[in-house]
Amino acid sequence: MGFLTIKNADFTYQGKQAVISDVNLDIKKGEFHCLLGKSGCGKTTLLKLASGLLQPDKGIIQLNGKELDGPYQECGFMFQSPTLLEWKTVMNNVLLPIFLRRKVTEEDREHAAGLLDMVGLSEHHNRYPAQLSGGQQSRVSLARALIQHPSMLFLDEPFAALDAITREELQEDLLKICQLHQTTVLFITHDISEAVYLSDRISVMDRGRIIYEEKVLLKKPRLINMRYEPYFNRLCLTLRQKMSEGRP
Amino acid sequence: MKYTQLYSLLLFLILIVVWQLAAGSMSELVLPAPSIILRTLVEGLLSGYFTGHIIQTMLEILLGLLLGGFLGFTAGILMGESKFLYKLFAPYVIASQAVPKLALAPLFILWFGFGMTSKVIITALICFFPLLENTVSAIQYTDKQKLELFRMLKASRWQTLIYLKIPSGLPGILAGLRVAVILAVVGAVVGEFIGGSEGLGALIIASQGMMDTPLMFASLIILTVIGMVLYQLVYLAEKRWSKSSMKENKK
Repeated sequence: MGFLTIKNADFTYQGKQAVISDVNLDIKKGEFHCLLGKSGCGKTTLLKLASGLLQPDKGIIQLNGKELDGPYQECGFMFQSPTLLEWKTVMNNVLLPIFLRRKVTEEDREHAAGLLDMVGLSEHHNRYPAQLSGGQQSRVSLARALIQHPSMLFLDEPFAALDAITREELQEDLLKICQLHQTTVLFITHDISEAVYLSDRISVMDRGRIIYEEKVLLKKPRLINMRYEPYFNRLCLTLRQKMSEGRP
Repeated sequence: MKYTQLYSLLLFLILIVVWQLAAGSMSELVLPAPSIILRTLVEGLLSGYFTGHIIQTMLEILLGLLLGGFLGFTAGILMGESKFLYKLFAPYVIASQAVPKLALAPLFILWFGFGMTSKVIITALICFFPLLENTVSAIQYTDKQKLELFRMLKASRWQTLIYLKIPSGLPGILAGLRVAVILAVVGAVVGEFIGGSEGLGALIIASQGMMDTPLMFASLIILTVIGMVLYQLVYLAEKRWSKSSMKENKK
């Protein structure tokens, strides 16, 4: 059984059409899994279910062998926007998850500094979010997601608002970090090549269902040139077709 | 920017000069010249004539502001946090706003006497609403994604309030305080108009009785300065807060 298992999950927002219906998902430990789909297909809702922020109407969601009944402590999150607290410094934003749980120790600060180094923000500890560029804010958000040594990361289109080059850099950083710590990742995107480049496995979603699954057979670590290989492009095309097939 | 400030000052000087010239052809009782008002003001300040009145009015303003502001802020948080309390109290709060509060001043003087208490209460009542209103909306309109973040991080309701809702709503809350500060001056002065022997409002009424128009103007100037200083203090606090958090990206 996988690290994150979703069995026959249904979810409906009050009085509306089903958002998620009969979704099954099984993610192994250390796997980088992408949910790919157009906006409005229910992928964010599925992520919220998987992370325990929402409860399914039906079905089971298990993380690390235990059924979820709320947000899981050992998880990291990144949202569509960096969601930093403007009145806290970069350092304190990264330390927020710990700050809300217990007293921040010197060790935590060192850990946070290490994470900021890793995402290339060693010079910016005492700056405020508004003083950073969009890419740098996303990096802070990534460091914050990693501060509690998460075994599982939930990422909801974290790089969607960034320019192409910055996005590539952040993708590199993310892959590096996940490989280093063997982190399991559930990543949401509507960008096909991003999905192929990052993941081990891709699930295509449409109208609340998973309509297609595909393993990505690219070697790790991923390299920029792989984006231009024939296999990469073929896979992108297949996924593209599957995404539009879902519609009548 | 530099120039607009200069022009602003220039405009002030022109107004003073026009006033001085206009006052020359009028009785001092109707429109005293700026020079006469200034003399009255300086003499009064130096002799300590104004001191007691200034202290009295300042105390009323500050105590009223503190009381009304604190209650408005607290009620705002409670009503912002609880939909039930919001729905329960909203009609009453609106009704209490519809009553012209200054018209209640005579009643308060009847209830609380001619002393400082009645004026503090009038001032507090006036300051209450802007803070309540701004605090409620600041608390209610906290960024949804940040709320979600706090839920994911398993923050308690109290933590979410203290570390997210209040700091993120502070600019709005301080804007409410800025309005309240100006209203506080009005509240205190009107209170003194109706029943009081001390304070700058009472002094204005007294100077009317004595036909001492320069004294009336001098009191008005002191009141204006008090209002402006308080306003500026809140403004500075606001700026400091936003400076430490929302500094523009300097590239």
